[in-house]
Amino acid sequence: MTAADGGQEPALVLRGLTKRFQQKVAVAGVDLDVPKGSFYGLLGPNGAGKTTTLSMAVGLLRPDAGRAYVLGHDVWADPVEAKRRLGVLPDGVRLFDRLTGPELLAYTGLLRGMDPETVDRRARELLDVLALTDAGRTLVVDYSAGMKKKIGLACALLPAPRLLVLDEPFEAVDPVSAALIRDILGRYVAGGGTVIFSSHVMEVVERLCSHVAILDAGVIRTAGPLDQVRGGRLLEEVFVQTVGGRTATGDELSWL
Amino acid sequence: MAVRPVAAVSPFVRLKLRMLANGLRGRTWRVLLFIGGTLLGAYLGGMGFLLFAASAAGDAQVRLMVASFGGAALVLGSVLLPLVWFGVDDTLDPARFALLPLPRTRLVLGLLAAALVSVPAAALLLATAGLLVPAGVAGGPAAVVAQAVGLLAGLVLCVAAGRAVVSAFATMLRSRRVRDLAGILLAALAALLGPIQLGVVAAAQSADWDQLTRIARVVGWTPLAGAYTVGIEVAEGRPLAALAKLLVVAASVAGLLWWWSRTLESAQVGAASAGPARPSRPARAGAVAQLLPRLPGLPPTRTGALIARELRYWWRDAKRRANLTAVAVIAVMAPLLAGFGRLQVEPGSAGVSLGMSQLGRTSTLLVMAFVGAFASSMLANQFGFDGTAYAAHVTAAVPGRAELRARTAAHAVLTVPVIVAAGAVLALILDDPLSAVGGVGASFAGYGAGAAVSLFLSVLAPYPLPEGSNPFATASGTGIAKSLLALVAVVAALLICTPLLLLATALGEGWPWVAVPAGAGYGLAAVALATYLAGDLLDHRATEVLAGVTPRR
Repeated sequence: MTAADGGQEPALVLRGLTKRFQQKVAVAGVDLDVPKGSFYGLLGPNGAGKTTTLSMAVGLLRPDAGRAYVLGHDVWADPVEAKRRLGVLPDGVRLFDRLTGPELLAYTGLLRGMDPETVDRRARELLDVLALTDAGRTLVVDYSAGMKKKIGLACALLPAPRLLVLDEPFEAVDPVSAALIRDILGRYVAGGGTVIFSSHVMEVVERLCSHVAILDAGVIRTAGPLDQVRGGRLLEEVFVQTVGGRTATGDELSWL
Repeated sequence: MAVRPVAAVSPFVRLKLRMLANGLRGRTWRVLLFIGGTLLGAYLGGMGFLLFAASAAGDAQVRLMVASFGGAALVLGSVLLPLVWFGVDDTLDPARFALLPLPRTRLVLGLLAAALVSVPAAALLLATAGLLVPAGVAGGPAAVVAQAVGLLAGLVLCVAAGRAVVSAFATMLRSRRVRDLAGILLAALAALLGPIQLGVVAAAQSADWDQLTRIARVVGWTPLAGAYTVGIEVAEGRPLAALAKLLVVAASVAGLLWWWSRTLESAQVGAASAGPARPSRPARAGAVAQLLPRLPGLPPTRTGALIARELRYWWRDAKRRANLTAVAVIAVMAPLLAGFGRLQVEPGSAGVSLGMSQLGRTSTLLVMAFVGAFASSMLANQFGFDGTAYAAHVTAAVPGRAELRARTAAHAVLTVPVIVAAGAVLALILDDPLSAVGGVGASFAGYGAGAAVSLFLSVLAPYPLPEGSNPFATASGTGIAKSLLALVAVVAALLICTPLLLLATALGEGWPWVAVPAGAGYGLAAVALATYLAGDLLDHRATEVLAGVTPRR
């Protein structure tokens, strides 16, 4: 897990991440290795601790215990180096939404110390590809939910990070934009980048991911390459079985 | 509902109490703030009670004037204070009731009832209860009963007036078309207080008691003090006049509630958007050129981007704009009050004119230092304005010192001209430019010292602001936090400025000649030291700041 391991250090390493909110334990010791060049899906039911885990992994939330390494750099001991290699799309977090789309991209780029020409060029391309150019001088606060996701993703992609951490990137996104985002992320991974994203949409994960992990009640239940986790079954079956869901018997809600 | 008004509004009151209790649960500092706010309310209410009660010792004229002018001051205060300083409690945000099948009348009455259950309302009731004492002394039980009805009506009037005006201004500030008008209106309203005060004091000096009594009698018939002079009317044997006054107050309350319900609707539907989208013409310039305004010397770097974004936010974010408006109001009002006060002191007192003039200079310095410190005290919760958007800075690992320097610089670009304008106002009133220049120097020092304290507060004690659409809203229980933090910043800033102010007083006539460089240097030194130390602190506390400004969901 350090550079000395011979080139194939994982892109993201989580060791014993723990977080409790007052009495409730949200994340109870998460260990995870995300290999370089993998497309990693983090699955889990609502309230499993996905957002909390990813927030701790990228340095937005201080863990009670445990460590997180981005390409060998400790997120909490060496934040500047770790965050330089990291692109993040948080969920449930506002953007600086009183800026227009281009302004927000320029802001993100300059904030990370990129040179203005590169920012201009990449911002134009990103807006074009994500079909946000038409929004013109509309403030991001007036964007639709799907457009906000797309501009957030553009902000994460702008500095060309080596690792992308995306929290629910496909939520509230229409099918056309979702296909576009899938396409962009696929190309990014093919080019040597690494993606980890959280979701509870099995179909997307099954289609995209090389690796999956299933998180439930703050603990990783299973993790590994997609085919190994699936073992020939449908991912949804594995998921429901792992998480221990129940199916309706037909007696309840008869008034519906 | 018309039959059982209590049953109609009691769910609102219970909901408010339950939300208040849940908001306090498990949050020690919030509980402490709430207790502090309650104690402060009890103290202020108790002082008001004593003031009103003490008028029982005076004659009929004194009683009338205390009830009339005191009551009018309370009503005006409950309209103006939420706008410029405290905001209104947002525990029951009208937008949350948008989807419920509630008749508008019931919603307004329910929100009014919930607003009555608050610490300020209780303090107001306690203070005005002091009027029962003179009523009892002069008119016996009947007057006490009448006055009790009167002060309950007065309480409802105050709360309804505060809510209606805040709601109306919030609607105006949300709308892109009239928001600037709203700010100007507010500033003009506050600026009027100066001449009014001048008029009142001049009247008190020149006019005899009878004239003042006549004014008090007239004010007593307006909604401003009608509710508070009911007891006097009964005590003096005019029950019909008392009844008429109560009717005047009731009609005013009805009018205010109607006005409130009009703006309430727009508050309910306008929650999501900041207004109609601006025409989306395609932008030609590059992204960077769009971000950086054509300000000379703003480089395309991290610092330049931070300053540009802050500048835009002070203008585009309704919450910040409301704060800027408050600064403009104070910057106009404080010199006016001080200037007129000084004018009244000086003429005609030749024997003590030297001493008075010295006193006047010192008070000018203090007032201007206060204006500066007040302006920068709005940085005390600067991260709260950003809310969770601050996460972008955390993931970009923005160095704390660069962050704080840029934020202070942007704020200074906007407010220092306002402070200088305040100095110009002062120069005009006093007809004494030198003294005003001295004041501007003091205000620079006050600004820098206030910014220094506020920077530390913003890193150490950030708190969330509601993400709704009302720029005057404060999350339940944090209204007092805002006031306390800003108060701490202002008082500490004045303390930090004391050495310089003492020096200025010692220099006397010589001070204005060195005031601007000395004051600016003092302020800059304070800011430089604070950004250096607090920036380091911010590097270690960035995630805690983010957690602090994240609203609890």
